[in-house]
Amino acid sequence: MYLIPEHKRVPFAGCTPAPVKEQRMMITGNWRTYRPVIDREECNLCMNCVAYCPDACWQLSQDEQEVVWNSEYCKGCLICVNECTHGALTKAHELDFEDGVVRLEKPF
Amino acid sequence: MPKEAMISGCAASAQAAKLAKVEVICSYPIRPYTAVMMELSKMVANGELDAEFIHGEGEQAQLSVMYGASAAGARTFTGSSGVGVTYAYEVYSPIAGARLPVQMMIADRTLDPPGDFGSEHTDAFCARDMGWIMGWAEDPQEAFDNHLINYRVGEDPRIYLPQFVCQDGYFVSHIPGKVVLPDQKQVDEFLPPLKMDHRLDPKKPISHGPQIRPDQGDALELARAMAMSEVPKVVMEAIDDFGRIFGRKYSPFVEEYMLDDADMAIFIMGAHAGTARTAIQKMRKQGVKIGMAKLRFVRPWPTEAVAAALSKVKAVGVVETQTSYGGATQGGGLMFEVCTSLYDLPKRPLVTSFMAGLGGEVVKIEEFEYIAKHLAKAIKDGKVCKRVHWLGFEPE
Repeated sequence: MYLIPEHKRVPFAGCTPAPVKEQRMMITGNWRTYRPVIDREECNLCMNCVAYCPDACWQLSQDEQEVVWNSEYCKGCLICVNECTHGALTKAHELDFEDGVVRLEKPF
Repeated sequence: MPKEAMISGCAASAQAAKLAKVEVICSYPIRPYTAVMMELSKMVANGELDAEFIHGEGEQAQLSVMYGASAAGARTFTGSSGVGVTYAYEVYSPIAGARLPVQMMIADRTLDPPGDFGSEHTDAFCARDMGWIMGWAEDPQEAFDNHLINYRVGEDPRIYLPQFVCQDGYFVSHIPGKVVLPDQKQVDEFLPPLKMDHRLDPKKPISHGPQIRPDQGDALELARAMAMSEVPKVVMEAIDDFGRIFGRKYSPFVEEYMLDDADMAIFIMGAHAGTARTAIQKMRKQGVKIGMAKLRFVRPWPTEAVAAALSKVKAVGVVETQTSYGGATQGGGLMFEVCTSLYDLPKRPLVTSFMAGLGGEVVKIEEFEYIAKHLAKAIKDGKVCKRVHWLGFEPE
């Protein structure tokens, strides 16, 4: 028999309980090398970023006044930047940010 | 009542799938395995078999369909040959890692290039390290039986591993042999319906195959290895039950043939074991003390059974019907594991290997006599002259 340390324990066959919204066992934000940055002045709430994000990392805020970015799960694919109708989204290198994932000792 | 039929290995595999009541089948044509799917599609069309029959757009798709169907809890059946087996390679590890008991029938075909329809074990053999149970059959009857035994073992909750159920192309897949087809009732007793705890279920939603962290990967791989190490115990139970229900008693891992008083052994798997048997009978009449150890499972490798069988003799000739280019012997891949199995014995036999049956070439009785001659010389000299012989190309 072998001893498996607590932090390495994975459910049988890697099957996890299905997430309702966010899968805590599969945080993907640390895949990014670039991130989308929003210029609130330019944003006209066309919702293209919300519609096109393959991982639902752009969501409309509770008060429906702005779109909110999820930094923990955004993989940095930049589809939102491409699809933005009003030039409100631009790409920026992760290294440019204090909290950039490439700077973290233990990403998330 | 069980009935006897003269059928090919492919037809036997199709009958086994039907009696196992497979629920999802996925096909893509390639010789020689295609005959299985021809039989099964007829059965589905005629209403003899109630299964979903899906045409994949390639072998990688076939195995992906099997992944999903098995995750949904279905008993699955697919198959391929040669380059089809290697085209699906990507999906082998995910299926084993997801612990899904998919069954894949393989009728061997030589890998390209150039196109060669002949049988050779390399196509499946090179996927032996993916976490699938794997073994070869000698004739259509053994092929039929191996399908049932593999479902039983792979679907056991202690195991949950996929299985490659292999037979030599043409030599087994297309040459008819006597097959005893059991009653449905017997098969139902041996093989209960698949009930998988980790199947997809709307009442208990789970995600299959999510990303995990690199520091969790080794723990999952350890779990897969541990499942594989449980297989021998479950195989032995299955073989016992199989003998009781069907009346055919197999050696679980290594069939020993005329080994007890033998000086030398032919170590072999698959169709050519049949020719080896005939050659051994002939040589025995001439007073040559030779026997055979026939391997039934390559994965899990039966280390103890191989050591026990081969420790009875002074010299072993390993017949390699696959290639491991650039390997330790510059020959085939069975040698590594045979030698590893023997390494800890206090008294090891001499071991050498013989490349035979590559590209679908026939292995003749005279070639087994050639092997015996070399093993006798090795015993006399106290050493082997070299680690690999290419049958038919040796200068003497």
